[in-house]
Amino acid sequence: MVKALLVDPWPWWLGGICIGLLVPVMYYFLNTPLGVSTGYGNLAKIIFCHTKLKWLKSSKFERVCNWRLLFIIGMLIGGFCSARFSGGPVFVNEMGRFTELIAWGSIPTAIWFFCGGLLLALGARLANGCTSGHSIHGIANMHLSSLVATFFFLLFGIITVWLIRLLMMGGI
Amino acid sequence: MKKNIAYLFLGVFFGFALSRVGASDYELIFGMFAGEDLKLALVMGTAIIVGGLGMALLRNMGYKGYKGQPIEVNKKDLNKYTAIGGALFGIGWAISGACPGTVIAQLGEGKIFGAMTFLGMIAGTYLYAYIAEKHPSVYF
Repeated sequence: MVKALLVDPWPWWLGGICIGLLVPVMYYFLNTPLGVSTGYGNLAKIIFCHTKLKWLKSSKFERVCNWRLLFIIGMLIGGFCSARFSGGPVFVNEMGRFTELIAWGSIPTAIWFFCGGLLLALGARLANGCTSGHSIHGIANMHLSSLVATFFFLLFGIITVWLIRLLMMGGI
Repeated sequence: MKKNIAYLFLGVFFGFALSRVGASDYELIFGMFAGEDLKLALVMGTAIIVGGLGMALLRNMGYKGYKGQPIEVNKKDLNKYTAIGGALFGIGWAISGACPGTVIAQLGEGKIFGAMTFLGMIAGTYLYAYIAEKHPSVYF
């Protein structure tokens, strides 16, 4: 039992139930919508603390150490514990079939993933939410904008993976 | 203070669940988009159904919290940037094999390239703030 929960990968239904429960639980106890991506504004403000940009100076980030930062720190600890419980090295420099099939060396690969993050952040800010805020929280609340956003997340994810396989991994 | 501990604890729970179920695994994300392994699509679907049932229950109880405090559901606007941002996000999701939540779990797991995605996200958020400064139409 302990091994199934802490060491083995979870089955899809267990992960789905735990993640889904967060939405009503966070509203019921804390009146807070589940969401992660806005928290990167806290991190950006910590790094660029003298910024004059209006968005980063808005009331959302007046106190940097708010719930969003705590939630992110918690997630970091959660990921760390999960990896420690299942064993393996502390630092992992592989990324599935990407590092297996594409021998770019570490710096171009690092730039690739950095650019991925850049697009994720820009996209999440323009769409006003990410997978947790839109796809989980938003659709669970039957918001049309979340359904539209999720449709575009998935559509362009599928197209991009298809292109990566075709152009960079030697065919479909 | 109690609230802060609750947020931290819920974050640990979320990060742990994402990591345990494999949402922070490049292969599973790639496999979902490639149509090879739909485990994460099932996870998302289940989460939406469970979350939706929970919210329906809260709605029937008149959106009252545990102390009877009102619950305000955060509603996001639909405009053309929902689609444009959604497309950029989808490309970034496929490139990095992570989304803004799972990349934090990846960082906790010690994935070096996940850390690069994480840094890219901070830079991208700053870039957004910069663009929104010049173009008030995308200031949300």
